Formats: sequence, structure tokens, C-alpha cells
Amino acid sequence: MVASSSESNSNLTALNRRSFLHTTAAIGATAAFSPIISANSPKKDDINVAILGAGAQGQTLLNACLKMGKNAGVKFKAVCDIWKDNNLKRVSGQLRAYKSYGHTGTAYTDYQEMLDKEKDLDAVIIATPDFWHSRHTIACLNKGLHVYCEKEMANTLQDAREMVLASRKTKKLLQIGHQRRSNPRYIFAYEKLIQEAKLLNRITTINGQWNRSRNACVDLELNPKMAGIDEKTLNKYGFDSMKQFLNWRWYKGKGGGPIVDLGSHQIDIYRWFLGGRPISVMASGGIDYWTEHQWYDNVIAIYEFQTPSGRVRASYQTLTTNSNGGYHEVFMGDQGTLDISEAGSRGSLFREIAVDEEKWDPWVKKGYITKSGGKMKGQEGIQDVRGSIPAAQYDLSVTMDKPYHQPHLENFFEAIRGQATLNCPGEMGYETAVMVLKVNQAVEAGKKLTFKPEDFEIAG
Amino acid sequence: MKNKFAKLILPAFMVTLLMLVLPSCEKKNETDNGKSGQTPAKTGTDMACDSCDSNPQNATDVPTPAPAGMVPVDVTYPAAVFVGTPANLSTIPNLEAAYPEGYVRPPIMAPKGTVNLARGKVVTGTDEDPIIGELAMLTDGDKEATDGSYVEFGPGKQYYTVDLGQKSNIYGIIVWHYHKTQRVYNDVIVQTADDPDFIENVQTLFNNDIDNSAGLGVGTDKSYIDGNKGKLIDGKGTQAQYVRFYSNGSNENELNHYIEIAVYGTPVQ
Repeated sequence: MVASSSESNSNLTALNRRSFLHTTAAIGATAAFSPIISANSPKKDDINVAILGAGAQGQTLLNACLKMGKNAGVKFKAVCDIWKDNNLKRVSGQLRAYKSYGHTGTAYTDYQEMLDKEKDLDAVIIATPDFWHSRHTIACLNKGLHVYCEKEMANTLQDAREMVLASRKTKKLLQIGHQRRSNPRYIFAYEKLIQEAKLLNRITTINGQWNRSRNACVDLELNPKMAGIDEKTLNKYGFDSMKQFLNWRWYKGKGGGPIVDLGSHQIDIYRWFLGGRPISVMASGGIDYWTEHQWYDNVIAIYEFQTPSGRVRASYQTLTTNSNGGYHEVFMGDQGTLDISEAGSRGSLFREIAVDEEKWDPWVKKGYITKSGGKMKGQEGIQDVRGSIPAAQYDLSVTMDKPYHQPHLENFFEAIRGQATLNCPGEMGYETAVMVLKVNQAVEAGKKLTFKPEDFEIAG
Repeated sequence: MKNKFAKLILPAFMVTLLMLVLPSCEKKNETDNGKSGQTPAKTGTDMACDSCDSNPQNATDVPTPAPAGMVPVDVTYPAAVFVGTPANLSTIPNLEAAYPEGYVRPPIMAPKGTVNLARGKVVTGTDEDPIIGELAMLTDGDKEATDGSYVEFGPGKQYYTVDLGQKSNIYGIIVWHYHKTQRVYNDVIVQTADDPDFIENVQTLFNNDIDNSAGLGVGTDKSYIDGNKGKLIDGKGTQAQYVRFYSNGSNENELNHYIEIAVYGTPVQ
């Protein structure tokens, strides 16, 4: 059981991250971002955990926890999923296979039964379909348990608000699964390169995308060799068919489509790196290709932010028919550009030619960036007066050798132990939900929609 | 000398030639599907990898010239599927290129009559009580990525052996571990032998265990991202009755997975 726990999730300062970053300059950036917890770390106070939702995302989160090693002090005591013959059987079996880690993984199909019977839990990881997040989260918080809930935290702002209020009322932690918030590469880019070194100077524009090939977006089908979920159970949990259960992300009232599934992660970074909220959004999207889907398959959105430095325009697109360019975010300032992605191989800065090389040299010497010798693509040189000399390329010096979700889960567990503050508490997830859910509304409205400051606040 | 040529040199020459491919024999995969909309893609591509070698020519089933008299082996590939967040593969050493979008594997070239000898054959292994699925699924012909098609075995180094029923000429092997998400399996080793205990005539056809963590010798083959086309391994015309497949978890976790193993060859007459 947990010896002590932090009950505050409202202090959003980055002190934990800053202290973590403190020694970067002295010992080199890569070394400073070495894993917080490794298999060889001393044994930590045990945190007893249940996983609620054992599908693909639940499996990803479980795998990330298992990668923390035997001494991470995270013990999975229970797992709950309504697909008894597949998800539940698989994950409970995996936890039995990892019995030497201290996992037991008692299987449940009814989350209320699990919460009633498992008296020794400290926390629950929720990876159910979006439209269940609010009910599941609130039920767990009311049982006195800390919650890690996958994004999108809810389908509606009302549901998301109630999650935050429940967290405040119960004084239990609520971490939302925007895992880039704990990714050392993103933390480093923001705190060191943007904030401290100011390599971009004034950010004027952001572009981001997550493009997937059509093959990556084909509906999942139930394998005829295996048992699905009976109709009564499907209906009880809000699904009209097994096909809808398997592909819930495409259905209105269940998920939010690709702009929510994918865009939410990256649009969250826009707000983080700009340190502010948008004032408007316009968007275009449609069911252009996948005839059986309810949500827009291709969406392009443009936000406007008003920052202390001036207006910023930020575009974002997500495609389900063409994967060109993959997924990344590009922050463009009047002195430099940051091109970053959760994909570990992508992290470059480009120095505008008008900026003297000597101005960036100290940051090279300090180990923040390395010269790559490359040039920004698509700008081979001045061809006429309209062109620009290509920007010089540098690379981020920080790498991450963990599964993408692992640092965010580690942050959650460290916060439970009182040794960290959450990197994405409910309030922060709510602000992102306000931004992202508005895109679908803007598509439907066919016009620019505005945000008011109070849209982002939760009273009470 | 003539006898030695017949016993050693000639087979070696044939071995080199047998598992070969001809660009001119390339054919659009029979399950390829170019339609738009809801119809699932039946072949498609292996998943792209942002972090591995970007040169597709470094993938290890690049075609080489084939001798006359060989015919393409009929292989069907499952649909390409990708679910969830891409995996962080940036720190995996010795990782070969992902197949590019639209890649169509050239056919395995082998003597007429070559078939998948493993289909329906008995599989035994170190974990015969899988977490999910059953051993018979490794040779049931189902190569799809969907839940219900794969078998999940316990953590750590595990191996599974298929008994071909009699000594056979092996020209090509394809193994599908798991291709619903990006996976790179550790210490993939494929061996053949004349006996079930792997004492007689043990041959190693593939080994990417570069640090000998499995204890079967240092391998020189590359790690790879599993995909809908599986991993093609040159059978080199090896003669054996038993084929054994090792793995030691993946980038995801310590568990081991198999969807299907196919051994293309002919019985030794």
C-alpha cells in the first residue's frame, strides 16, 4: 500500500520537471533524461492498481507498466473488461504470467463488482471507450482511488467537468493520458529550447498533422473463430453490435473521430508550448471516403491564439487516406523552427539564415542541440528574389528509450507517492477537450467559432 | 571426386539457387485490392517505421536471380492492419528497413510441387498452455492480424517445433509473429534438424540474436518489424523433418506471439 500520497493536483508548475532538468547542462542532456525508474532501481512502495478496459489501448498501457520492471512497485491486482473471451482472458492471463512481479490480475466483467470486491486498490487505469470515461472515472474516484484516464477524457464538456469536480471533491489524483506532457523530448524542447534558449524567438505559426494510410483505417472485424460479446451485454454497455464495439471511435456518441483520437495529443502541445488558449477555430472536414463511418475521416482545422507576443495561427490536419509526412508538429518562429514528433527519430531545429550562427553556438556547446549539417528541405537555394536561403539544421540532443506512455504513467505513480506533481491533471485535460471538441462543432457549423476565457474554467 | 561433387558441391549449388526470386516473375498479389471506401485492403503494406533504416533495399527478401526450372510458390498474404499508437522503435539496434508502401514481395521460386508442409502439422513447444489461443493455430493457415488469429505464450525465451512428418526439402519459411501493431521480436532464431531433440544435423537458417542472449550463437541477421507479409527465411534447400522457432519477447513486452508458420518444401523421396 502507499505510504503517503499527494492530494493536490492543482499545482501545475513544472517544478518537478525543472528539478529533473536542473543537471542537464552539467552532465549532458541525454544522461539527464535517463529513465526515472529502471529494472535495477531500488524497490518502491507498492501501489495496487486495476486496469479498467483491456483492449488495444489498455494493453499498451499495461505493457508500458511492465517495462518499468519488477521493482517499480506497481502491482496489478485486477482487470475488468466486458469482452470476457478475448480482452479479459488475455490480460488476466498475462498478469498471471508475470506473477513473479507481484501481479494477480483477478478478472472482472463488471467494474462495480471489481470496485466493491477489491478492497486493497490504490489506483485505476482507465482505457475504456471515451463515452465511458466519465462514469468510470467518477466511480473510481468516489471509491477513494486515484485515476489515470486515457484521453479524450470525455465526449462532452459536461462529463469532463464532472470528472474534474469529482477529483477535487474526493481529493484524489486524476491524470489524463496526454502522454507527451511527460515525454522528456517535449519537456526539453519546451523548457530548454523555447523558454530558456529562445531559439525560435516569437512563434508566429504552428503546423501539425497526423496522416494515416487507408490501410491503417480499415474497420476491425470479429474473427469468426472467436466468441464475441453477447448482444445483451453489448446493449447494456451502449453498443448496438460487435462491429460498433470494435470500431467505436468512428461512432458519434462513442468517440470523436480522428481529430479527437489523434489530434487531441498534438493540439494539446500547441497550447502547452504557446502558454495560452485559443480565441477561435475554423475547420473543414467530412465523411469523404469511409462510407460507413459517422465521424469525419479527414479534417483540417485552424486555430488563432492571442499570446503576449502577438497573434499565432495554428493549423492541424488528420487524414485517413494518405500517410504522407506521418505525424509531427512544427513550431515556426521568426528566428527558428522546431519540428518535433512523438516518433523518436524526428526532432530538428532550423536556424533562420538571418540569425548569426554564433547566436546558437552556445546552445550547441551546452549540449542542448547538435549541428546536423543538413538544410531545411524544399529550399535548395535562392532561385529568384522571392526565395530564401535555406535554414541550417540542428538536432535535439535528448532521446527517449522507453515506450511512449511509460514516463506519463511513471509521473502518475510518483505523484501518488507524493514525489511529483501530475503533468496532466484533469483541469489540463479539460482545457484540451475544450479546444478539440470544438473542431467537430466548427466542421458542423461551417464557420469560425470563438472561445471565451470562461470556456476553459471549471468553477467549484 | 565425382562422388564428393554429387554429395556436397552440387547440393550446395542447388541450395543457393533454390530459394530464389525473379523480378520478371513478380505478380500482383492475388489478394491485393485497390478499391476505395469500406472494402478492407487485403494486402497493402507493412507498417512504416519512422525510426529504422529507410532504405528498403536493406530488407532481406530482396530478389536475386533464379535458375531455370523453378516455379513461383503460391503464397497468400493476410490483410495489413494497424491499430493504436505507433511504437517507439528508435533505440532498437540492428533493425532493418520497413517494407515501403505498396511493396509486393517477389515470389519464392522452388521446384514444382512445393507446398506449405507445415499446414495442419503438430506443433510442440516450451509453453504448451498459452495465455490465449492454442498451439494448433500456428499451422492452421490463418495469418490474419485480428484477435483470435494469434497465440500468446509466456515470457522470456521460448521455442516451438513443427514436425513435418518426414524428411523434407525446405526452400522457404515464413513466420508471422504479430502484425496488428508494430512489433520487433527479440532473438528470432530458426533451426532445422533430423530429430525432435535437435541433436542430429542441426542447421541454423536465421539468427538475429546479436548478443547471443539465447545461447545458440551470435547471429548476423537483422531485427525486423513484423508485418502482414511475415518474415521470409531462405530454406536453402535444407533437408530436415523438424523446424524450430525461437523468440524472446518483443519491444512491447516479454511475451511471445505466433500467428502462423509456413514451411515451403517437398518431401524427400
